[in-house]
Amino acid sequence: MVVSRTVFVAYGLHLSTPPMISIRKSSPALFLLLTLATLPVNAQRAGGDAKSAASVRIPFERMTLANGLDVILSVDHTVPRVAVDVWYHVGSKNEVPGHTGFAHMFEHVMFTGSGHVPYGMHDRLTEGVGGDNNGSTTQDRTNYYENVPSNYLESALWLEADRMGFLLDKLDSAKFAAQRDIVQNERRQGTDNQPYGRAFEIMTAALYPESNPYSWPVVGYIAELQKATVNDVKDFFRLYYAPSNATLAIVGDFDAAQAKAWVARYFGGLKRGAAITRPTVTPPVVAAEKRLVFEDRVQVPRLYLEWPSTGIGTGDTYALRALGQILSGPRTARLTKALVYDRQSAASVNAFDNSAENAGVFIVFVTPRPDHSLAELEATTDSVIDRLKRDGPTPEEMAKTSAGLEFGFVSALQSNLGKAEILNRSLVFYRDAAHYQTDYERLRTVTASDVKRVANTYLGAGRVVLSVVPLGKPDQASKLASSVKVTVSPDGGHYIMESR
Amino acid sequence: MKRILGLAQDCIRRAACGGALRCSLALAAVASTAAAQGKALDRDLTPPPGPTPKLHVPTWTRATLSNGAELVVTQKHDLPLVAFSIDFIGGSYSYELAAKLGVASFTAQMLSEGTTTRSADELSDAQQLLGTSIAAFVSGESGSIRFTALKSKFEPALALLADLLVNPIFPAPALERIRGRTLVTLAQQKDQPNAIATNVFARTVYGDAHPYGRVVTEQTVRAVTRDDVVAFHRAYYRPGRAVIAVTGDVDPRAVRAQVEKALAGWAAGGERPTFAYPAVPAPRARAIYLIDKPKAAQSVFEIGEPGPGRDTPDYYALEVMNNLLGGLFQSRLNHDIREVKGYSYGVGSSFAFGRGPGAFNASGGIVTAKSDSALIAFMTHFRGVQGSIPFTDDEITQGKESLIQSLPARFSSVNGIGNAVASIYTQALPETFYQDFAGKIAAVGRDDLVRVARKYIDLEHLNIVIVGDRATIEGPLRQTGIAPIVVLDADGKPVVVP
Repeated sequence: MVVSRTVFVAYGLHLSTPPMISIRKSSPALFLLLTLATLPVNAQRAGGDAKSAASVRIPFERMTLANGLDVILSVDHTVPRVAVDVWYHVGSKNEVPGHTGFAHMFEHVMFTGSGHVPYGMHDRLTEGVGGDNNGSTTQDRTNYYENVPSNYLESALWLEADRMGFLLDKLDSAKFAAQRDIVQNERRQGTDNQPYGRAFEIMTAALYPESNPYSWPVVGYIAELQKATVNDVKDFFRLYYAPSNATLAIVGDFDAAQAKAWVARYFGGLKRGAAITRPTVTPPVVAAEKRLVFEDRVQVPRLYLEWPSTGIGTGDTYALRALGQILSGPRTARLTKALVYDRQSAASVNAFDNSAENAGVFIVFVTPRPDHSLAELEATTDSVIDRLKRDGPTPEEMAKTSAGLEFGFVSALQSNLGKAEILNRSLVFYRDAAHYQTDYERLRTVTASDVKRVANTYLGAGRVVLSVVPLGKPDQASKLASSVKVTVSPDGGHYIMESR
Repeated sequence: MKRILGLAQDCIRRAACGGALRCSLALAAVASTAAAQGKALDRDLTPPPGPTPKLHVPTWTRATLSNGAELVVTQKHDLPLVAFSIDFIGGSYSYELAAKLGVASFTAQMLSEGTTTRSADELSDAQQLLGTSIAAFVSGESGSIRFTALKSKFEPALALLADLLVNPIFPAPALERIRGRTLVTLAQQKDQPNAIATNVFARTVYGDAHPYGRVVTEQTVRAVTRDDVVAFHRAYYRPGRAVIAVTGDVDPRAVRAQVEKALAGWAAGGERPTFAYPAVPAPRARAIYLIDKPKAAQSVFEIGEPGPGRDTPDYYALEVMNNLLGGLFQSRLNHDIREVKGYSYGVGSSFAFGRGPGAFNASGGIVTAKSDSALIAFMTHFRGVQGSIPFTDDEITQGKESLIQSLPARFSSVNGIGNAVASIYTQALPETFYQDFAGKIAAVGRDDLVRVARKYIDLEHLNIVIVGDRATIEGPLRQTGIAPIVVLDADGKPVVVP
């Protein structure tokens, strides 16, 4: 999940990706970028040329300050601009049940000024000089970035260092309360006021036990957001916002020696943080199928299927990505072809794996055309998946999934921020800033038998099936008799899934 | 020392055009540089900017192909990428009949439904195996067919694009499939408050007679036939109104021949549209157009009216003024309504600058309970930019610098460069537009900002479209006394008040 300082409009309308990201400000472009970086290479894959290309390379230098701050520098003089991108290894999974949405709300607070930076100066020295900034939060990490003209690199580093070191000096409850209101508005805009906006939250809540750190939405529940206090902020900051829990990537048009001197100057004096106990995220086990129905303010129903998959730590994430591409996307992808083109029972279908650091889910959702029921779509979907599980993908399908990999990677190299995100992700999740090359190789060498195996391993009987139906029309659900009705608790704090 | 001197000069230059904060930054620079020479770090000193980087606008070559299309080629060799686009001048506003809205989009989608030599599946597989994807779309005043690919795949991808463009067969069953999917999307839009607000705003501001006020509906979608699609393709996709941009790692000597060869079957012809639109409706007195969305968590606002076309001499002043009103994150609207008051996740404003009278529009999602207060704030800031809240020197500096210094970001990718160059021709801009941009923005004066705000934000005739929970917000909105309330349905038709 990603949630952010500024909006991102993308998931309300298109719902092609689950609300796994929250952002400070609305930014469809950022959303695409984050999606791209989360999945290190573009969604288009495909085969052909067998060897890994020389173009799959981001030259960088790495240094570590005495306080533990990991720094990556990658010079590219193509355009006179530079990206400064800081990752903190903290996300919604570091919250505790009952206090959801906190990591993301904290991200907003980070833009309200710090010890030596008055409120407004951050935007003044970024957007106000022709740059931009934003932050975003996922289950696993929080990022903050500035894209600035290259002559504003030093001030961008000063801004990031000041909030890393001195955020609490100027924080008061008024500033905090204002950001809390804004985050509630973000939730209203992105979730509560959107048709189907609650679907992914419901599935996540059904899939994970309540104590699991991946069970709550990144943006949090309204009732719990209201409970957050400024003291919560202080504890959270002291533990997680230390240089020893952060990485800093600087990418673009700069002089490396000068940048290193500035990094040492502004970040060198900050104190290392205490040791952090990372939460244990147990991959969920869904023994049997859980069927749910949720009435929403929609005219067109929609069917959602979700299986537990795996975190990025296991090698299966690569084959699961290929599986998603074989199932949906281009018109010859299997579910797309069967549902949208051959039977024409669906207006659209999406299938994709979403692997986070410690666990993952594989999601399919289908929107019917009139006169086609969700039960019919479910049966078609299951039969397509069953055939793939039985026979595996064809050589042609494997070739198509890898043919777009190099293009996707090289395209991403055109963005300073895109490169910074790839490097930070590699460093934070794999402790190796060059790990993206391994990702690339493993994506490129996924075999048909790998795909067949992960389909059989993960797309089993234990899953969540959610029918979102128009208000008052539960009979439009797939297999209503065996489905449990979902309602929102009166305080908006959680979902009630009543057994019949 | 040299650096200090440079910054001091910078300070004077900027101070002369009113940049107070810049000046203080530059002075801080002197202190900071001194600190860097050995003194302890004083974090209260804002690090000064270095010298402003020199603007490098890409250069391109321009030629007219034998079929009459314009070809612009821009080289960029740092990565093995090529962006290829054919942009068409004019779009659905000029070439669609009012009763057949949707035919342009259907035609664009159907280009990939099969050609005289390849099935739709073969076209799709070929793109996947090339690691690329050919996109075709038509919007109101332009259309495009395009791809970006690795250099090594450029020629086969170009051949595929040419096949789609010149030899499509438009199978009738595909039209029915696309129509069916479109009808589902239209139904879903009726649940989407932002989509409702956008459609009702267009209809309310421009009316049925102006293309800007027309909205694709179930009825127009049902009226489109295969013959309409074939006719639209024949009439619209013509080289006479096409601008072809090739950008990236190409050999400029070879590229023209490559494009000529690939498009050899594309017959000459096609005029550029005049963009002569009917007059906009006579302005009506300011009103709130309320569309009920029971129990909505937010009210979606769209406030505005017809604005100037892109060719207005006030373009630069409007860009700066709008930046300060609702363009930047720290603009008056977003700063006040989001950051200070906490009513929203984000509000903003824009001028559409079409070839005709594109709208001025201020919009955002507002927490239901604060709909009235937010409307008061919108009105306060409209009046503010018209003079009641004077622009500070620092606001003006920021409004200009954010535009001037963000220009290089447009030139970082092959797509960005291709779009920047093609838009010179599709929007009929001077070829020196990018070189002149900074100077034109810098020349905008404080009086210009107030003048254009008064000229183009007509407070007496604002259309205030609000999609929200009528039961909660209607009374408070009426109590503001800002405007009478007209209740509309999601199609923009008046609702008879019971």
